[in-house]
Amino acid sequence: MSELDIAGQPPVSLDIVKYMRKTRGGKIKTATKSKSNRAIKITLFVLLALTIYGFLTFDYKNVDIAKAMAGTWNNVKVLFGQPKLTYGTWGGSLKALFVTFSLGALATIFGAIIAFFGSLLCAKNIANPYVANITKSFVAFIRAVPTILWVLIFTVAAGLGSVAAVIGLTFHSAGYLIKAYAESIEEMDEGTIEALKASGASFWQIVFQAILPSSISRMTAWTFLRFEINFTNALAVGAAAGVGGIGFDLYMAGNHYFDLRELGYITYIVVAAVILLEMIATKIKATVR
Amino acid sequence: MPILEFKNVSKVYNNITKALTDISFSVYEGEFVSIIGPSGSGKSTILRCINRLVDVTQGSIIFDGHDINKADKKEIRQVRKKAGMIFQHYNLVDRLSVIENVLHGRLGYKSVMSGVIGHYTEEEKEKAFQILAMLGLTEQAYKRCDELSGGQKQRVGIARSLMQEPRLILCDEPIASLDPSSSKIIMDHLSDINETMKITCIANLHQVDVALKYAKRIIGITAGQIVYDGPPEKLTRSKIYEIYQSDEGELITDVK
Ligand SMILES: Nc1ncnc2c1ncn2[C@@H]1O[C@H](COP(=O)(O)OP(=O)(O)OP(=O)(O)O)[C@@H](O)[C@H]1O
Ligand SMILES: [Mg+2]
Repeated sequence: MSELDIAGQPPVSLDIVKYMRKTRGGKIKTATKSKSNRAIKITLFVLLALTIYGFLTFDYKNVDIAKAMAGTWNNVKVLFGQPKLTYGTWGGSLKALFVTFSLGALATIFGAIIAFFGSLLCAKNIANPYVANITKSFVAFIRAVPTILWVLIFTVAAGLGSVAAVIGLTFHSAGYLIKAYAESIEEMDEGTIEALKASGASFWQIVFQAILPSSISRMTAWTFLRFEINFTNALAVGAAAGVGGIGFDLYMAGNHYFDLRELGYITYIVVAAVILLEMIATKIKATVR
Repeated sequence: MPILEFKNVSKVYNNITKALTDISFSVYEGEFVSIIGPSGSGKSTILRCINRLVDVTQGSIIFDGHDINKADKKEIRQVRKKAGMIFQHYNLVDRLSVIENVLHGRLGYKSVMSGVIGHYTEEEKEKAFQILAMLGLTEQAYKRCDELSGGQKQRVGIARSLMQEPRLILCDEPIASLDPSSSKIIMDHLSDINETMKITCIANLHQVDVALKYAKRIIGITAGQIVYDGPPEKLTRSKIYEIYQSDEGELITDVK
C-alpha cells in the first residue's frame, strides 16, 4: 500500500500531542526553533533590506538605462566576439601567462610547506591546546587581511616587484592552508595516532607515518583549490604591484590602450589556462585518493 | 619476579571522575589475564596506565623493572616498545599497505629519521612476512588496509604488536567489533601467541564466556575497584552478578 494508513489506527493519544509543536495554522512543526535558524533568517532579511536601500538611494546620474544596456551589450560583443591582438604578441602573452602561473605556483608551494608545519601546531588532536589557540588566532588575523593588502604591505619592505608579490601571496596562502590542513588532520581517527604512540613511535615518526598518509588526499585537494585562488590573485597583483605577467597585460589593454579586442583575447587565454589547470588538478586529485 | 606490578594505583580524570581506586595486582611472565567489568568500570584505564597513554594519579606501576611513572620521555619509548597494544577499532593507518602497518611496530626501535621516511631493513621486512604468514595474511601483504575485513584488520593489529617483540600484549576489547567466527580466530591466535611465544597477555573482554574459556586468570573490576582476582574456575555465578552489579537473569551473556 503506498499511502499511509491512518484510518485503522487509534486516535493519537493526548500525552503524545503534548510534545508536538504547532504552527500558527495548526499544523505539526518539524523544524526545531534553533538559534542558527533565526540567525539565517535575520541575515537574509538584513541583506534584503540593504539591497532595497541600495537601489533606492543609488545615484543614477541620469543614465539612460536602455542606452546603457545597449552600450554594454555592444562592448560584450566586441570583447568576446572579435578578440584580436594589436599591441601584444601570441608568444608574449604565453610568456606572461607563464609568469603569472609561476607566481601562483611558487606562492602555493611555499605556503603549503609553511602550512604543513603550522597545521601541526594547531590541529586539536595533536597540538598543545594553548599553542593551538595562539596559532589559530594569529592565523585568523593573517586571513582577515586581504591578499592584495599583504602584497602591498610587503612592497614597502621589498619594493615593487615579484619578491613582494610572492611573499604577500605566500603569507595569505599559508594562513588559509594552515586552517584547511589542521581541519584535515583533525578529521583523522585519533586511535591511529594513539596506536603508533603506544608502540613507542616518536612525534615526527607519527607525523610522517600516520598523520600525513591519512590526510594527504584532503590536503592535496585544499592545495589545488588554493592554487586556483593564487593564480587569480597573481593576475590581479601583476597590475597592482608591477610584477608583470598576464595580469599586467590585461591592465594595459583595459586601462591604457582602451582596446576591448585585446582585452577579449587575453581573457580567452586566461579562461583557457584556468580550465586546463582545473583539468590537471582533477587528474592529480583522482590519483591521490 | 612479576613482569608487571600495580601498587595502590588510583586514577582520577580531570579532578572529578574516579576511574580507578587503590588497584593492586601483579602479573607474572606468561600469564593470560582477562579483565572483565561493566562499561565505565575502568578496564581501558588500567591498560592505558601501563604504557602511559594516561598518567596515574597515585600509586606506582612497575613494568619490566621500570617504574613507569618516573620514566622520562626516552624511557617511556623504551617501555612502550616492550608492550604491544591491540585495539577494538584496530587503529591501523588505512591508506597504507598491510606490510607498512606491520612494520610500524618497529618504529620504537628506529632512529627518528629512518622512521620518518619509512626505511626498514631487509631483516625487519622478512620478519614482518613471517609474522603475516603465521597469522594467515601473506596474500594480503600489499593490500591497502581499508580493503580488509574486520577480522583481517585485527590480525594486522596483532602482527604490528608482535613486530615490537613485546614482553606483554595489552588487548583492549580485541573482539568487540567482530562476528563470532572472526572472534574465535583472533582469540585462538592470542592464546597461541601466549602459549608458544610466552608473551604475557592482558585482555579486556566484554564477553564473560570468552574470558572464562581463554584466560588463565580473571580480574573483575567494578567502579574502579578489584572485586575478583583468581582463576576462571573459581568465578561463581553470583560473583559475576556482583561484578556487573546486576540481578540474576539480567545479563545477556548468562553462563551455565
Ligand atoms: N580521557 C578521559 N577523560 C575523562 N574521563 C575519562 C577518560 N577516559 C575515561 N574516563 C572515565 O573513566 C571511567 C573509566 O573509563 P574506562 O574507559 O577505563 O572504562 P571501561 O571499563 O574501559 O569502559 P568500556 O567497557 O565502556 O570500554 C569512566 O567513567 C570514563 O568516563
Ligand atoms: Mg574501554
